[in-house]
Amino acid sequence: MSTRTESVDLVGDEAATNVARAALFAALVGAFAYVSFPHPFSASPITLQVLGVFLAGIFLGPVWGGGALVLYLAAGAIGAPVFSAGTGGLGVLLAEPTLGYLWSYPFAAALIGFVVHGGVTLRDIDTVGLPRLVGAMVAGTAVIYAFGVVGFAVVLELTLVEAFLTGALAFIPFEAVKMAAAVGVVRSDAIAAN
Amino acid sequence: MIEVDGVTCRYESGGGRSTGDGSDGVVAVDDVSVSIPDGEFLVVAGANGSGKTTLVRTFNGLVRPDDGEVAVNGTSVGEDLVAARTTVGMVFQDPRDQIVAATVGGDVAFGPENLGRSHAEIDRRVEEALAAVNMSGRADERVETLSGGERERVAIAGALAMEPDHLVLDEPFTGLDEPARRSVVDRLRALHREGTSVVVVTHDLRDVIDLADRVVGLSRGRVVVDAPPAEAVGTLSGLDVRVPESCAPKDESGAGEGGSEPRGGGSGPHRDGSGSPKTGSGSP
Amino acid sequence: MTLAYVPGDSLAHRLDPRSKLLVQAAFAAAAYAYTTPRGLAALTVVAVGSLLSAEGGPRDLWGYRFAVPFLLVAPLVAGATLGEPWFRLDRARDTTLASYRVLLVLVVAAAYVRSTPVRDSRAAIQWAIPGKPGQFLGVGVALVFRFLPLLKRDLLATREAIHARAGGERPLRDRMRLVAVGGINRAFGRADRLGTALNARCFAWNPTLPRLSFGRGDYAVTAVGVGLFAVATMASI
Repeated sequence: MSTRTESVDLVGDEAATNVARAALFAALVGAFAYVSFPHPFSASPITLQVLGVFLAGIFLGPVWGGGALVLYLAAGAIGAPVFSAGTGGLGVLLAEPTLGYLWSYPFAAALIGFVVHGGVTLRDIDTVGLPRLVGAMVAGTAVIYAFGVVGFAVVLELTLVEAFLTGALAFIPFEAVKMAAAVGVVRSDAIAAN
Repeated sequence: MIEVDGVTCRYESGGGRSTGDGSDGVVAVDDVSVSIPDGEFLVVAGANGSGKTTLVRTFNGLVRPDDGEVAVNGTSVGEDLVAARTTVGMVFQDPRDQIVAATVGGDVAFGPENLGRSHAEIDRRVEEALAAVNMSGRADERVETLSGGERERVAIAGALAMEPDHLVLDEPFTGLDEPARRSVVDRLRALHREGTSVVVVTHDLRDVIDLADRVVGLSRGRVVVDAPPAEAVGTLSGLDVRVPESCAPKDESGAGEGGSEPRGGGSGPHRDGSGSPKTGSGSP
Repeated sequence: MTLAYVPGDSLAHRLDPRSKLLVQAAFAAAAYAYTTPRGLAALTVVAVGSLLSAEGGPRDLWGYRFAVPFLLVAPLVAGATLGEPWFRLDRARDTTLASYRVLLVLVVAAAYVRSTPVRDSRAAIQWAIPGKPGQFLGVGVALVFRFLPLLKRDLLATREAIHARAGGERPLRDRMRLVAVGGINRAFGRADRLGTALNARCFAWNPTLPRLSFGRGDYAVTAVGVGLFAVATMASI
């Protein structure tokens, strides 16, 4: 890094943009919590956060995508209203029934990024085939639900089956819708950056 | 002292993405030489896509020229980026996207914190910078609650906290209403009077022509005029640059169209990460 | 009323963020270890006390109301069984206690959020995690707080634009895609401008960190935290 003056260790122009993108994606996943679509048969609406996790992995890759979701959790933990329904606070990550879903996000984003880009170096997403894209999101979704169901069971002292019935089943069909939406976003000509 | 010597910036059009700013060529800045002495109030005028944003971004190494040399106080920018960026403070077009903290004071402190200054010195700099933009005692206010003009002034304070010799502002009046513009102009006048060199990049001279010592007009990346304002206006109205009505030629057709710079988008070929000139990241 | 930092000079406001974070984690550990009527009763006192020390009240908990359906349904699901005796009270009771535990931990977290500015939290993060990862987290969380309201507005604007053009008739997948495309484009645009602005201000890995000061009250709170951890550990041995 070309810094010279005294001992200022500049982040560097490229890394600075990556930090900015990771932070903006974290904020975007948080903002997605506010855009909800009514669920036909559950009291909890469908939010786009998981779509944000998919897209973070796809657009930012495993390192900065995973980092973005770490920022999301850290900001939420200290009180940014980024969790579902605009809540925040460490308590959500330590005690809420849905905590497993939240903790899974960085892992899921990193996994999706790794599968989509075939490693840690980013490739042009226009060259990534549909099976790989969908496969990555299916794997990421599996991680999210595995963490989510286990967390639900632990927090509420339920069996895994009970936890699955209460906290997961009604939402799974909509993950397919989000995957389709993510594919649409990736294939959209309207995304200018990257 | 900023010395620009024969600078040419090309941007890589390999990605095929249009920057949408009307410049078809791949040369954003074409063999420009200009020098800015300490204390001068300079206006860099040009239409959308004339290369003015790219040119000033070479002053602090945000854009690395493909040819030519930029030196700040005698030191090449590429050799000491930190020195260039502390000597040349820069304020960008949309203040919302350059304010990094949720509170006014937290944002203004960002620069001096990066320079590793002591807490006492950071406090002093924040206080002085806020005073210079007429926002003393408002360090704890939330950025969200500020008006557009106040946000612009916070962005200026953020640059001033680096204690620069030169303050460069890119389209500082975009989106501001009349009173807000006047408050920013007042602050620039005061800063200039106290010895800071001010460079304003604009397509609209009306607010700053009275303050300018010199106007450099750009068109298609080339300097077409470099003169005191009174001499420069005649040439400028032909460049899609708005000039005060008192100075404008009788036939107004076209002259007023320069004010159509898109809101929010950066001017110059710098709008997205891909189609921009090489940004200086690592060591040369 | 969203839970957020409220400037003030309460007992909790004057504490160091590090001791407040410690006590939160310790409280959660104790609550998991003692999910019994007596244990939770004692912890209720601590939880309410912490919220009062931050001059908080029920209004600060309103945002958490969306957790309530899960907390009410879960005991029923836990109690229900296929076959005799169809409903097991003991299991329903365990899950009811677990649901109540959730609320307590949220109350303590609310006290922290209400009494701690972002700057303090950032300082605590960078104290705990030094170097580049700490700076990434510290600057990153500050940026999330800064840009969340902007991106929320961007998304709502996109959504309104879609509605205005009768986009409500489109399938769910399409509506999601359109909102996401709008959101991502704005986010990338802002990120690239922000990145340039960070560089212009010498964004560095080794900045001066915000001040932290550990006062007398912090020793007391830390002692409470260590005590809660000790109690939690004893229960699990």
